[in-house]
Amino acid sequence: MLVTSIGQGLLWAPLVIGVFLTFRILDIPDLTTEGSFPLGAAITISMMLNGQSAVVATLMGFIAGCLAGWVTGILDTKLKMPSLLAGILTMTGLYSINMHIMGKANLPLLDQRTLLGLLPAEWSLNLQTIIVGGVIVLVVVGGLIWLFRTRLGLSLMATGNNPAMSAANGIYTDRMVIIGYMLSNGLIALSGGLIAQSNGYADIGMGIGTIVIGLASVLVGEIFLHGRKMWIRLTGMVVGAIIYRYLLTLAMGLGFPVNDLKILSAVILVIVICLPLLQNKYRTKRQLKRYLKQIGVDENATNSHPERRTLTKGLFSRNQQRTPRLKGRELDD
Amino acid sequence: MTIEPGDFVSVIGNNGAGKSTLLNTIAGTLSVDAGEINLAEHRVTNKPVAYRSRWVSRVFQDPKMGTAGDLSVAQNLTLAEKHTGSLSLRRYRRKGQTERYLDLLSSLNMGLENRLNTQVKYLSGGQRQALSLLMATLSQPQLLLLDEHTAALDPQTSHEVMELTQQIVTEQHLTSLMITHKLSDALTYGNRLVMVQDGQIKLDVRGAEKQALHAEDLMGLFES
Repeated sequence: MLVTSIGQGLLWAPLVIGVFLTFRILDIPDLTTEGSFPLGAAITISMMLNGQSAVVATLMGFIAGCLAGWVTGILDTKLKMPSLLAGILTMTGLYSINMHIMGKANLPLLDQRTLLGLLPAEWSLNLQTIIVGGVIVLVVVGGLIWLFRTRLGLSLMATGNNPAMSAANGIYTDRMVIIGYMLSNGLIALSGGLIAQSNGYADIGMGIGTIVIGLASVLVGEIFLHGRKMWIRLTGMVVGAIIYRYLLTLAMGLGFPVNDLKILSAVILVIVICLPLLQNKYRTKRQLKRYLKQIGVDENATNSHPERRTLTKGLFSRNQQRTPRLKGRELDD
Repeated sequence: MTIEPGDFVSVIGNNGAGKSTLLNTIAGTLSVDAGEINLAEHRVTNKPVAYRSRWVSRVFQDPKMGTAGDLSVAQNLTLAEKHTGSLSLRRYRRKGQTERYLDLLSSLNMGLENRLNTQVKYLSGGQRQALSLLMATLSQPQLLLLDEHTAALDPQTSHEVMELTQQIVTEQHLTSLMITHKLSDALTYGNRLVMVQDGQIKLDVRGAEKQALHAEDLMGLFES
């Protein structure tokens, strides 16, 4: 079961990394995801049905996703729309576009060779999935690690972190936001193409809930692996994607019907949002206790409430789990 | 209004008088209704902030504004350095960079030299503002805009940062425009003083004439 989750998780990993790019690096919740994911699937499957090789079709899926991201980027930056609305508009528009590309709501592959089919047929399906997914994830993660060492990558990070300061230092922030949207949605569409090949069909409804899956995986990944280094953060995203798949498989093993998986996804997201909050509370409490002991104050004598109010919103800003711990370190100094 | 090369202009005025508007139109965050802005012979009236950054640098009032909190001190400095363009795919870390940054940071005397790889959000307000100032002057701008840049700091730190500003501006012969609410700072620093009221320049004195000014004179002008 775990092996299947690893394979599936690797295919979903580009989506999670894509969501990570907009959500964590650019600090934008991008709903285009729900449209660009099936877009990637639709382009890939229909091009394969038209006789293109799986490699070309998958790449074209990626490029189509970039275009979708470009549209959202233009709506957001040039037409000054709120980013949530920009994403919703593109996502809605993409529904029709996806229908046109596919011609019908569900488009199955016939006997075309998928990326998995390029490997020897005697290997098990799981092995094939893991190898194909692994190679793609390596290329994506490697490419992004390289990107974030360049001036362009640094400018992208700066733009997401502090647009005013970035502009004052000569960065054309609109361009950076558009590039971020394009990269992100390209990766999301790539993931859509891979999942469609693995399933053997593209479906108009396969995008529903992908943003929740993406966000939940990002947060799960950050719970398990957190650090400042880009390679750690990106690896965390891959781990998040795999663990998330595993959680879903476990739930299905418990007898959840497939139709209930969406609500389960939503519940998982709620849990992973709340978990770090509780963690925070507990850590703050413990630290305050230690500190009070250090300075020799009887804890019960003071009225100060150890609980610091942490809002759910705070979680959506970066590095939330680390803040209290670092504060503790400063106390120790 | 014309700012000559080498001028250090202090701008004072009531709340709502138009000081910040003046500064924001020069920096490009506000667009002008009428009139034009030229920077070092370049017409920039309708150009975006990023374009103007070739000539103008800015230190914000809020220490959080001038630096990127999630990035390290070194990364912030890299962003401020002259470079080939933000679309460049070359590595942003260069040989000899660390040594150069360490030299620059230790010249600030703010203890920043041990914090090169610390995320800026963990620095104190004074340290952030000093870093902000260093970043703004790193590429030797034609015009340095200081937007009440000591207002959010405690008196001691505020004084330190102001002295630092004076030192950097004199060393690099920078042309500067400083907004301040502290009349004493406006009188002590700079060679020129401009007072803004109701969107108009009410007073513009320089050199010896400025030296002769006292806080009481200015208070009188405020009330009138």
